[in-house]
Amino acid sequence: MNDDEILAALAAARHSASDVPERIREIGRSAFAWRTVDAELAALTPDSAVGARAEPAAVRALTFAARDLTIEVEVTDDALHGQVVPPRRGEIELRDRSGVVAVAQVDDVGWFVLGPLPRGMFRLHLHAGDAVVVTEWITI
Amino acid sequence: MRDDPTVVGLVELARHGDAQAWDDLVARYAPLVWAICRRYGVGGADAEDVAACVWLRLVERLDTIREPAALPGWLATTVRRECLALLRSRRRQVLVGDEFGLDTVDDPAFEDLLLTQERHIALRAAFDNLPEHCRRLLTLLFDDPPAPYAEISSSTGTPVGAIGPTRRRCLDKLRSDPALAAVAGAEQP
Repeated sequence: MNDDEILAALAAARHSASDVPERIREIGRSAFAWRTVDAELAALTPDSAVGARAEPAAVRALTFAARDLTIEVEVTDDALHGQVVPPRRGEIELRDRSGVVAVAQVDDVGWFVLGPLPRGMFRLHLHAGDAVVVTEWITI
Repeated sequence: MRDDPTVVGLVELARHGDAQAWDDLVARYAPLVWAICRRYGVGGADAEDVAACVWLRLVERLDTIREPAALPGWLATTVRRECLALLRSRRRQVLVGDEFGLDTVDDPAFEDLLLTQERHIALRAAFDNLPEHCRRLLTLLFDDPPAPYAEISSSTGTPVGAIGPTRRRCLDKLRSDPALAAVAGAEQP
C-alpha cells in the first residue's frame, strides 16, 4: 500500500470504530464481572437439540458436560426438567444476566425442576457436595 | 493477525483477572462485533443482546483459549451464529426472506467482511503504537479533503515544509508494525 492508500485505510478503520454504539462496549466491559473462577464450566454437548427448529410444544433436550458429571435438561413449555448424572444431591440455580432467578433442590436421583422458563440468556449453577459447576450461557 | 503478541498478552492478563486487559480486548474487538451485527441487519436492543451473549461466552472461555490469534475468527463466527439464531426465531414469527443466507453455510461476503475487520483491527492497533506526534498529525490528515498544511502547521507546531516528510516517516513506522505487516502482506492489491 502506498502512503495515500494506507492513510485512507487507516481513516476507514478509525471510522468503523467510532461507529460502534457505546452500549456495545459497556456491555462488554461489564461482562468481565461474570467471570467464574471457582466453578468448573460444563459445555453444551454438540448433540444437544438447542436451536433446532421445533414446534412450540416440542421438548428440547440439552446436555451440559463437565469432567465428572453431566447436567441433562429437557425444556418444556413452562419449566426446565433436569437430571444430574451420576445422581447426587445438591442445589441448582437458574441465573440470568441480572443474577439468580430461581433455585431448586436436586433430589436423591439427581432430578430437579426449575421454572418458570427463562427468557433470554441463562445458565445453571450447581452446588453438589464439593462440586461447583456452571453451564455455559445459552438461549432457548 | 497470526502472532499478534499484544492479544496473547491481553488474554493472559485477563485470564488472571486483569480488568484493564479485558477492557482493552473489548475496545479492540467491539467494532468487529458491531460490523457483523450490521451485516445481518441486527441493531438496537437486538445487537445489545447478541453482544452480551458473545462477550459472556468469551469471558467463560478465557481460561481455555489456546490460540489467542484465532480470537477474531472465533468472535466473528459466534456473533454470526447468534445473529442468525435471532433472525431464524424472527422468521418463525413473521415471514423473513433469506437475503442473509440463513440456510447456507458458505458466505463469501462474510469472509470478506472478516478480512476487512481484521485489517482494521491491525491498523488501529498499529496506529495506537505510534508516537503521539504521529497520531496527532495523521488524525488531521484523515479529513477528506485533508486539512491544509498551513492549518496543520499551526495546530501541531510542525513547519509546513516538515509535514510531508513527517507524514512519510509516520506512515513508514505504521507499516512496519508487526501486527499490520502480517495482514497487509497477506493481501497485496
